[in-house]
Amino acid sequence: MEFWTGAGTVSKNRKMPTAIAAGYSAAADAAITAEKLGFDGVSAAEHHFMYDAFTPQPLQSLAAMAAVTERVKLLTGAMLLPLYDPLEAAEQSITLDILSNGRVCMGLGMGYRPLEFNTFGTAKRTRGARLVEGMEVLRLATSQETFSYSGKHYQYENVSMLPRPVQSPIEMYFCGGATPFGARRAGQAGLPYWLANSPTDHAEEMIKEYRRIGLEAGHPAEQLKVAVFKDLCIADTMSEAFELRDFMMNTFYEEHILGYGYLVDADGKNLYNPPKEHPIYQRFYSSMACVTPEMAIEEVKRYERMGIDAIYMGNRDLVAQLILPEFK
Amino acid sequence: MKVGLSWDLDQNADPVETWRSVLDEIIQADGLGFDSAWIPEGRDTAVSCPQPSMYLTGAAVKTKSIQLVAASRTVGHAHPVRIAEEVAVLDLYSQGRAGISFLSGANQQVAEQHVQEVVEFVKVAWTADEFRYRGDYLQFPSNTGDEAPRGASEPEPNSALEYVPQWEAGPVQPEYLTVTPKPHQRLPMVYIEVDEETTLEWAARQGVSPVVRADVPTEEAVERLARYRRIADDAGRSRAEVDPILERHMVIDGAGDSHTLGGSSDELIKIVRQLKLVGSFRHLVWKRAVSDDGQLLRFAGEIQPLLQA
Repeated sequence: MEFWTGAGTVSKNRKMPTAIAAGYSAAADAAITAEKLGFDGVSAAEHHFMYDAFTPQPLQSLAAMAAVTERVKLLTGAMLLPLYDPLEAAEQSITLDILSNGRVCMGLGMGYRPLEFNTFGTAKRTRGARLVEGMEVLRLATSQETFSYSGKHYQYENVSMLPRPVQSPIEMYFCGGATPFGARRAGQAGLPYWLANSPTDHAEEMIKEYRRIGLEAGHPAEQLKVAVFKDLCIADTMSEAFELRDFMMNTFYEEHILGYGYLVDADGKNLYNPPKEHPIYQRFYSSMACVTPEMAIEEVKRYERMGIDAIYMGNRDLVAQLILPEFK
Repeated sequence: MKVGLSWDLDQNADPVETWRSVLDEIIQADGLGFDSAWIPEGRDTAVSCPQPSMYLTGAAVKTKSIQLVAASRTVGHAHPVRIAEEVAVLDLYSQGRAGISFLSGANQQVAEQHVQEVVEFVKVAWTADEFRYRGDYLQFPSNTGDEAPRGASEPEPNSALEYVPQWEAGPVQPEYLTVTPKPHQRLPMVYIEVDEETTLEWAARQGVSPVVRADVPTEEAVERLARYRRIADDAGRSRAEVDPILERHMVIDGAGDSHTLGGSSDELIKIVRQLKLVGSFRHLVWKRAVSDDGQLLRFAGEIQPLLQA
């Protein structure tokens, strides 16, 4: 099982202010540190028009990290594929694959913030279908010298892309949330699945569902790879862990949950302004488990027993100190 | 005079090795005091670079001083918002050393106005907060209608628009929007290749820095730059706001031709100084083949100090 982590979110969050250019430099430094600590992958995410200067170009940020690392995988977690022409996304991924000598792994998500869809002129209701189609275009573009594709949203005829990537195709994952809808969609399409943060029992259920649907659809088991996002609030005592979770979740609730429609219901529809008592928010809240170091190790072992391929954990230094030695 | 480097990526070789060689040369050039590195956008060969800003972001974290320019950028392969963002991100990683140079419309089979709108848009995107833009080829945000004035506009001082933080706005599309992050510099340098007359005139009147590429014969190249200067002077533009570029192939101790500057180190210094007097440029970009020919070090030691002086 691979261990992945973040390279630090470049942002000037209103509750955790940092200098912006220094933050970008720190992201490259964070990749060096993650590699030294023994992680297998570092990730960068994507958002546009954010007041906090969040990085809008994850593959470009990873290009900085490629230049200063040797071994670690360079992950987008997630890149919002429906906001791109898939050929542009393919060009970016190929560029990074060459720069890093084959270390790119694309976590590809749908996105959720309305103004991103509106501004790039993509109908948000089409994002799920665009993600699946776009990933097929990426697979073709990075594995075939010449390809054609005819989908509902994208059509290409006899496209040849130069230069060629090192990997063929470039590794990628479908970041489809943590709903049965997303799990089934990934399984049906036979796409590797990177599951969003969710309580471990729920994650186990979704992974089973994904594999069941994938096998039923005729995809070979080795193609049905699974990664999970798993953020844990680790502290010596449970009360400290609860305090840490409240601090981390409050800002996220006030921005992404209330205003940006981050959460979706079982049918894939966005929820705006859900109260904190809403069961879907409650599930999201409890997905960030509060644990002591011993409990954290047990939690990760559960995922290992599920036979997943990779686990993403944001708490880099603590994970390196407490958890990695148990698994590496 | 400033001296920069660009590379000919028009060959079929191993891209990993070739790109690494160019990166090594950028790092070396940074240490030797060269002023700029130009990576052209391309999709024609095994070593072309379709995303030069990404490539240069890798160079940004390995260098300290050298200006990093995404060259021959097209407007049809990326949304203009992404072009503004990519330069801003490069500028942040390099702490203020990013630039971008666009192909002319004719050289990328789009209307000149299309390129002009993108140039105007990215400059506003880097410097304005909430704004909208209406052109023939670009509306930003995408819901901007015909009631908006042409070009960029910002909310009126007496606007009744109430400020709503973006995290409270929900699914409503704002009328004005801020592109983020902002570059580290106030305004990264924007260049355009002036390979035809209307682009040259527009660039001169608008204060956009001109580039004449190495595939234009030297005599014609300096004449174009001289013409640019005359038009800019007539339009009242300050010479301080632009950075005219002459790109040339060069060979030390070799023969020159209509496109290549050649001669001994002393002869090259005299040739470049003479061209500078005619063309009124002060930034020479040496277009190099991807090879370890040893000439970079000679140039840095023998020629560059006398050009930069």
